Amino acid sequence: MIDKEKILIEKEIPLLEHVRKTGKGFYITISILIALVLWGLYAYLTQYRIGLGVTGLSRQIFWGVYITNFVFFIGISHAGTFISAILRVVKAEWRRPISRLSELTTVFILFFGVGSVLIDLGRPDRMLYAIRYAHFRSPLLWDVCSIATYLTVSSICLYLALIPDIALMRDIGWKKRQWLYEILSLGFTGTEKQWRRLERAILFMSIIVIPIMITVHTVVSYVFAMTIQPMWHSAIFGPYFVAGALFSGIATVITIMAIIRKAYHLEQYLKPIHFYNLGTLLLAMTLLWFYFTLGEYITTFYGNEPSQMAIFWSKIRGQYAPLFWTHVILCFVIPFPILAFPKSRTIKGTVIASISINIGMWLERFVIIVPTLTRQRIPIESAFYIPTWVEWSILVGCLSFFSLLYLIFTKFFPIVPIWEIHEGRGKSIPQIEERLRSYLPG
Amino acid sequence: MRFYDAKKIITGLIIFVGLVTYPIWHNTVSGKNLYTPKLELPKDKKECIEPKDYIRVNHKSLLEDWRLSVVRNGIRIYQASNQKKYNMSLNKTCMECHKDKTKFCDQCHNYMGVTNKCWDCHIYPKQLEIGVK
Amino acid sequence: MEFKRRDFLKIAGLTFLGLMAKPGWEVVSQIKPLEPSPAPNYFTGKKWAMAIDLIKCWNAKDGCRDCIDACHTIHNVPEIGYAKEEIKWIWTIEYEKAFPEHIHDFNEKKYKGKPVIVLCNQCEDPPCVKYCPTRATWKREDGIVMMDFHRCIGCRYCMAGCPYGSRSFNWRDPRPFIKKANIEFPTRTKGVVEKCNFCEERLVKGLLPSCVETCKEKALIFGDLNDPNSEIRKILSERYVLQRQPELGTKPKVFYIL
Repeated sequence: MIDKEKILIEKEIPLLEHVRKTGKGFYITISILIALVLWGLYAYLTQYRIGLGVTGLSRQIFWGVYITNFVFFIGISHAGTFISAILRVVKAEWRRPISRLSELTTVFILFFGVGSVLIDLGRPDRMLYAIRYAHFRSPLLWDVCSIATYLTVSSICLYLALIPDIALMRDIGWKKRQWLYEILSLGFTGTEKQWRRLERAILFMSIIVIPIMITVHTVVSYVFAMTIQPMWHSAIFGPYFVAGALFSGIATVITIMAIIRKAYHLEQYLKPIHFYNLGTLLLAMTLLWFYFTLGEYITTFYGNEPSQMAIFWSKIRGQYAPLFWTHVILCFVIPFPILAFPKSRTIKGTVIASISINIGMWLERFVIIVPTLTRQRIPIESAFYIPTWVEWSILVGCLSFFSLLYLIFTKFFPIVPIWEIHEGRGKSIPQIEERLRSYLPG
Repeated sequence: MRFYDAKKIITGLIIFVGLVTYPIWHNTVSGKNLYTPKLELPKDKKECIEPKDYIRVNHKSLLEDWRLSVVRNGIRIYQASNQKKYNMSLNKTCMECHKDKTKFCDQCHNYMGVTNKCWDCHIYPKQLEIGVK
Repeated sequence: MEFKRRDFLKIAGLTFLGLMAKPGWEVVSQIKPLEPSPAPNYFTGKKWAMAIDLIKCWNAKDGCRDCIDACHTIHNVPEIGYAKEEIKWIWTIEYEKAFPEHIHDFNEKKYKGKPVIVLCNQCEDPPCVKYCPTRATWKREDGIVMMDFHRCIGCRYCMAGCPYGSRSFNWRDPRPFIKKANIEFPTRTKGVVEKCNFCEERLVKGLLPSCVETCKEKALIFGDLNDPNSEIRKILSERYVLQRQPELGTKPKVFYIL
């Protein structure tokens, strides 16, 4: 088996190591994650039993951590599409080793995005009523449609790009799992015709998923922008949320990349240049996020409308000032200098920036959602929202469950696409040469 | 031919068959099969708003239709097959005769393993005496 | 694996027939239930509204809660006890908070801090109705914004849409907190949103809403805006009328008379 494997995967031996070998570290990590998931489950069952009163939510501030999680997770899901689809369409060759791990992030985190809304429902046993009695004038229904479409198309993208590697695994021959790879490989044998079909399919799906990705987060932003609440009812929310999604998505992918690189010894494949390039994109997104945020707050300030200003001041120097300024520091002040200078755009630098950005973006969603609900237009009660252990446990549980699913996936399939590396080494180099020649005269 | 691990296999088989046939023997063993629904019928009225056979089968969809009609369409009068008009209300029509749900509704529902959520919200007459909590 | 198109079509056809077995049997074997007869058409042409005469209301003794207690009693509104989870269908807020768009530095002293009764405004163009993903809240022909507790999934989007904060959510099981249960009206379960329904179950019987009937000062006037001779039309044409946040375009049907 080892010889056959060597022939098939040629030089790419480390890429299958993590599938074949399972070390102590894996089992320890899985145990911790399962414990956290069970704790999150216990928290949810408490909530299911007693009611949403166990959270810190109130009659005044009735959307909090769960809806923040929803927007945050859906935001992260834009990573995969951006890196695998957009970079594939513009033929950026450096995307090869990272396309699968980012696509995987997208597919799995979408479940938790939707899951967060379902956790937030007062009557989750009636969740299917949103489909049975669907009222299409509601932005939540638009959400249901666009996220369902996005999940379907992303899963197809992930699967299509996975087929050649499954075929490889099938050919290597895995005693216990052979049946799985046989079924999933769909009879792919690597003939010319099959490759052409597969590549066309992948390209087609990659192109389709880009407009879907943009509509998804726009529609999520419309849940807020379509209301008439002060500082929610803003036309900029569509592009603002999409930019924020790309921003937090790329940051998440960098973090995941660094962890996988270390844990699975893929230093040869996930090289500093990948972090550098993703760091450059992240820099662009930092500036874009800053531009949108600045625009949002400057226009509110200049307009000086009382109902909006009450919430503005609450964020700038009131109840929510600590959170607001923390998030500005985490999303801009820390990442920007790290990412702006090529010298600091190393693996360490980009990872620090991306962790800072992830936390900052979660806070950003929180700071967008909660202060408006203190509803200064009708300053009835001065309510303050403090999430309880239930909400934090469920957040931790969701993140752990996501990590768990991710890790289990890496035990079945290689996380760096072997066929894309082969393609890069083989076909792509002459293709690039030809492309370059076509750009130049003569 | 040797039967290897005979003790373990036979023990395992007995446990497995026991578990799988649990629904069959549990009621006999625990005495639950002696339970029959004892419906306390209303003393003064001899017939329901619809014939017994019809209402026995269809009372669930009848009540669901009533719910739709009253809550969403605002229509509250039901004309039964005996041409009489009734108020479409679980409490005011049904419970007026079948006073106590534990002595009537629950008897068959418990036997059949039917759970309904009506009483999560609607208060039945006897409940006012024992407390709504 | 030779799986031809024909085989697929055969299997698909059989599956479809199999799936249609149960619904088909239901259609064939059902005894058709009788259609409910329509009630006297008390919807058509009506547009219910309420006018609150603030001057009369302020004549009442300090801390008068007659309308609030009446409403909350007949509708089994629980008294939770902590402000975080309270449920209220009708309550009072200060004048400055009820009409913030009228507040400036030199308002009339006589209105300062006075309690104003607020409830669901039963808007003509209700934003909450737009946002509900299951149509658990909708505007009826006679103008009442209805609430179907059977269909509400508890997403609280309607609460996010209401600019007046009229809606309450059941954060836990309300039954332990109901002082005196009224069998005529259901209680609600945890996880659904509720609000004032203009006592539509009383309107059917020809009664006035409970708050209107209970007010000793006769400060609440209820009637049909489409009826030019109604008491409410009279008072709206004679006195100074305020609405809450009219600039939002919700066209509220609760008017405040000064």
